[in-house]
Amino acid sequence: MIICVAVVGLQNNPLYIQSFTDGDDALKLHYIVHCSLDVIDERVNNPKKIGSTLNETYLGLLYPSENYKVYGYLTNTKVKFILVTTDEDLKDADVRSFFRQFHAAYVDAVSNPFHVPGKRITSRAFAERVSTIVRSFGTSTTI
Amino acid sequence: MAVGGHFMEKLKQKWNAQEDEKWGPNIERKERRDMIGVGRTKQYANALEKSLGKGKQEVSLNAFAFLFSELVQYNQTRVDNIAELERRLEDAGYGVGLRVLELLCHREKGNRRETRLLGILSFVHSTVWKSLFGKVADSLEKGTEHEDEYMISERELLVNRFISVPKDMGNFNCGAFVAGIVKGVLDGAGFPAVVSAHFVPVEGQPRPRTTILIKFSEEVLQREARLG
Repeated sequence: MIICVAVVGLQNNPLYIQSFTDGDDALKLHYIVHCSLDVIDERVNNPKKIGSTLNETYLGLLYPSENYKVYGYLTNTKVKFILVTTDEDLKDADVRSFFRQFHAAYVDAVSNPFHVPGKRITSRAFAERVSTIVRSFGTSTTI
Repeated sequence: MAVGGHFMEKLKQKWNAQEDEKWGPNIERKERRDMIGVGRTKQYANALEKSLGKGKQEVSLNAFAFLFSELVQYNQTRVDNIAELERRLEDAGYGVGLRVLELLCHREKGNRRETRLLGILSFVHSTVWKSLFGKVADSLEKGTEHEDEYMISERELLVNRFISVPKDMGNFNCGAFVAGIVKGVLDGAGFPAVVSAHFVPVEGQPRPRTTILIKFSEEVLQREARLG
């Protein structure tokens, strides 16, 4: 169950935050997203020598807190995608494919000549696409 | 960049037409969404409801040449000197570069981010050039005088193919647009640089070849030295 998705820009400024459950407080979600930015920075700047390469875009599970899990994804232009979900076991492949579709929607939104890079994403089409992707998350197992 | 009304209008119409084509006017969107759950093989009632294919990755050269010549003429009437004109073309290319970087990084299989200088240069030299102009750039060289200079050369830049510069404009090169694109790509990837386009005369050929000169800023070189 996805709780919220966020797109954060170069200078850690929020470009797009959307929550998908009614219960939770928007402020709390903003705070969780903000904390996870620190984890991303530390992952990127101090790479662990064993295992993951420095250049992967998918960062994986950033940190599990008491009832949430946070996943991260970093694009080539230092734009970060954050995904907050409920605490259940999610297959890695599912999350990867979610981020891939999300990246596609993001690229289309940025290709808009009227989008100023660094400003918030105001495209309605982007919001609709994100809702579609979120709704089909977890229900389809084959691509 | 302040662009006048006429140009923006045309762009806005084109964008709206594209969005409508993708999503359909509002009434149809709900039906389209209802069809998503039908199953992997979708049967469409008529050809109009099929989703758009990837399409040809090419745009006609004539269309681009006309659009580019209009862009140059439009800017020419609004500036006082050559340097300003070059700067405007570069700004126009900058936006293209940013978006091209996002798009190509997403399409490229492999999920890798470029963090090394040579990596990003060869990315520009092959991938970007291939997707924009249909072929890789002619050559990529390292400057001999300074550590931070690199050059990408091309015998005949696509954008310059239908342009001849009058003598009184001196050294002006419409390749400033391509220099702007390269600048956008490098800036977006985290390698700030000063990029410019120059004509380099070659013996044995009537037209000089074009060189894009890339001069990286200090912090890039320091970071590169640190990464070893």
